[in-house]
Amino acid sequence: MNYRRFMIYQGIIGMAASMIFPFYVLLLKNVGSSYSQFGWAYGLFALTAALSYSLIGKFADRVGDKILLVIYSWGMALILLIFPLAFEIWHVYILQIGMGLLGAVQKNSEKTVLARNVQKETAGREIGRYHVWTSVAAAIAVIATGYLIDFLTIGSIFYLASIVFAWSGFYIMKLEIVK
Amino acid sequence: MLKEGREIFKVRYIAIIVYITLLFGSIILFQFQQSNTIVEDHGRLLPVKMKTVKSTDDEEEMKEIILDAAKSDDSISIAGMQHSQGGQTLYPNGILLDMKSYNKILKLDEEKKLITVQSGVTWADIQSYINPYGLALKVSQSQNIFTVGGSLSVNVHGRDILYTSLIESVESFRLLDAEGNIIHVSREENPELFQLVIGGYGLFGVILDVTLQLTDDELYQIQTKSLAYDKYSSYFTTDVLQNNAVKMHVARISVAPDSYLTEMYVTDYYTIDDQSHLTNYTTLKRESIIAIPKLFLGLSRINDWGKNMFWKTQEAYNQRIDDTFISRNNVMRSESTFMEFDSASKTEVLQEYFVPVDQFTPYIDSLRETLQDEKNFNLLNITIRYVKKNDEAVLSYAKEDMFGLVMLINQGTSEKSIEETGEVIRKMIDVTLAHGGSYYLPYYNYPTEEQLEVAYPRVQEFFQMKEKYDPDKRFLNLFYEEYHK
Repeated sequence: MNYRRFMIYQGIIGMAASMIFPFYVLLLKNVGSSYSQFGWAYGLFALTAALSYSLIGKFADRVGDKILLVIYSWGMALILLIFPLAFEIWHVYILQIGMGLLGAVQKNSEKTVLARNVQKETAGREIGRYHVWTSVAAAIAVIATGYLIDFLTIGSIFYLASIVFAWSGFYIMKLEIVK
Repeated sequence: MLKEGREIFKVRYIAIIVYITLLFGSIILFQFQQSNTIVEDHGRLLPVKMKTVKSTDDEEEMKEIILDAAKSDDSISIAGMQHSQGGQTLYPNGILLDMKSYNKILKLDEEKKLITVQSGVTWADIQSYINPYGLALKVSQSQNIFTVGGSLSVNVHGRDILYTSLIESVESFRLLDAEGNIIHVSREENPELFQLVIGGYGLFGVILDVTLQLTDDELYQIQTKSLAYDKYSSYFTTDVLQNNAVKMHVARISVAPDSYLTEMYVTDYYTIDDQSHLTNYTTLKRESIIAIPKLFLGLSRINDWGKNMFWKTQEAYNQRIDDTFISRNNVMRSESTFMEFDSASKTEVLQEYFVPVDQFTPYIDSLRETLQDEKNFNLLNITIRYVKKNDEAVLSYAKEDMFGLVMLINQGTSEKSIEETGEVIRKMIDVTLAHGGSYYLPYYNYPTEEQLEVAYPRVQEFFQMKEKYDPDKRFLNLFYEEYHK
C-alpha cells in the first residue's frame, strides 16, 4: 500500500475542496436571497451526509476504499460543472444533497484508509503527520483562491476546482495502494 | 493482474475524455447564461433583462458609448445606486450606463463655498472631503449612500428647512446629450434644461459634473418632543418655521396599532450661539452597531405587537437624544443598513406623499379612514420632512409649502401582492391629491396616468420636451415607457 501517495491524493482533494467551500457562499448569495435559504442549503448537506454514513460504511467494507474515493473524486468533478449553471435556489438545494452524499463518502473513506494503514502503536504520530500535510495544502488553497477570485469570477473557481478533482480521480484510479 | 491493469488504464482515459467533453459543455452553457444580464433596482419588483452594463470614468468613452448606441439604435438607461423603485434606471434590452465609477471630486472653492464633483460620487464621499474644511452640504437626503447624479435626477429633499429641494443648491452642471455633445447648464445657460434635467429621471442625458453650493458646518442642539398629530401643523409653523434658530427638522407619526396615525414626535436641530465646541463633534459618524434597530424593525414586520414595540423604542430613543449636540454633517448621514431586508418573497417599497402644511390634520384623518380596512397592508414607518414651495423643476413636487411623508411598506413580490398593494396605494394617492397634495415619482409605477397628471400638471410639457431634446429616444427607462403617451 503506497500510503504516501494516498496522502498526496488527500492533499489534492483537500485543496480543491477548500477552494470552493468558503467561497461558494458567494454563489449562494447570487442565487438565494435570505439567511433561511443559506440555512437550508447547508442543512440539507449535513442531513444527507448523516443519513448516508452507515450505508457508505458497509459499502466500504464490501467493495474497498478505492472505489469510494474514485466515486468521490469524479462525483465532485461533475457536480462542480453543474454548480455555475444553477440559478434557482432549488438547483442549489439538489446540488447540496449531492455534495452531502459525496462529502460523507470522502469523510468515511479518509478514516477507513487511515484505520487500515496506520500501525496502532504509532497511530498518533502518523495521523498527526497526515493532518499536517493535508491542512497545509488546504490553507494554501484557501489563501490563493481568495486572490484568484479578485481576478477570476466565482464561476471559474468552480471549474478550476472541478479540474483538480478530475485530476485526483485520474490519479487515484492508477493507485494500487488502497485495496 | 496485467490484464486488469490494462483495463483500469483504459477506464481512466475514457473517464478523462468524458470529463473534458462535459467540462466544455458546462463552460459554453455558463457563458451563454452570463451573456444575458438581468438587472433589478432596489425594490426588486422589476427584474429587467438589459443588453449590457457599461461603466467608465472617462468622458470620451462615455461619448463613445452614446454614439455607438446611436449607431446600433440601442437605448441607454443611466444608473447610480439604483434605489429608485419604478425602473427609472432600467429598460429591457437596453444598455445600463453605470455611473458609480465616474466619481472624482474635481474642485473645492472654499471662498465661494462651491464644490464640483463627478456625478457618480456619493454624498458620503463629499462629506468626508469637505468636513475637514468646516463645510457642509446644503441639501441631501437623510441617508448619504446615494450618488449625486441619482439624487439630482430625482431632485431629492432633506431635513434642512431653509434649503429643502436639492435643485436649490445646484449652481450648474454639464450634460452629455443624446448626440454626444457636452452642454453647460445653469440658471443662466440653457435654463430650460436646468429645469428638465433636475428631477428629470435621466431622460435628457448623462449628468457629468455638478457644481453644488455648500454651507458652513455648524453645531446643533437636538430638541425632541412628543405631540398629537392635530397639534403638529401649528407647532411647526410657530415653533419651527418662525424660530430662526431651528435649522433642520424631522418628525415621525406612529403606525403602531395603539397610537395609529395619532401620536407623533419631532426632532428639531437648533443652532447654538456658542460654536466653540463644534470641533468636538466633527468626527464623521460611522454606521454603528445596528442589531437593535434591525431587531425591532424586524419585529414590526411580523405583527401588531412588534409595531407597538418598534414605536416605543423609537420614541424612547428620541427622548434619549434630547438636548444632545450634533454637527450638521452628522445630521446628514443617517443610518440605513438596519433597513436592509433580505427575503425572496417579500420586499420593502417606499412611497412619499406631499401635503400642504395647513392640510396636515384633515389629511391624516382621511388617511386613517382609508387605511382602517386594509388589514393586509403592512405599513412599517412614516417619517415627515418639510419642503418649501419650489417650482423650478418642471416635474416639481413642491407646489406649495408642504410636508413630505415617507412611508415604508412591506409587501410580497407575487403578482397578487403587487396588485393588492397597488390598490391601496392608488387610494392613498387619491386622498393625497384631494387635499391638494402630490406624490414622489422615484417609486414603483402604482399610480395611474390620471393621478400623475393631477400631481404634476406640467408632465405633458415634460414629455414634449423629451421629444424635442431626445427625438430618437436614446435615453429610456420604464418610467417613461409607462407614463408617456
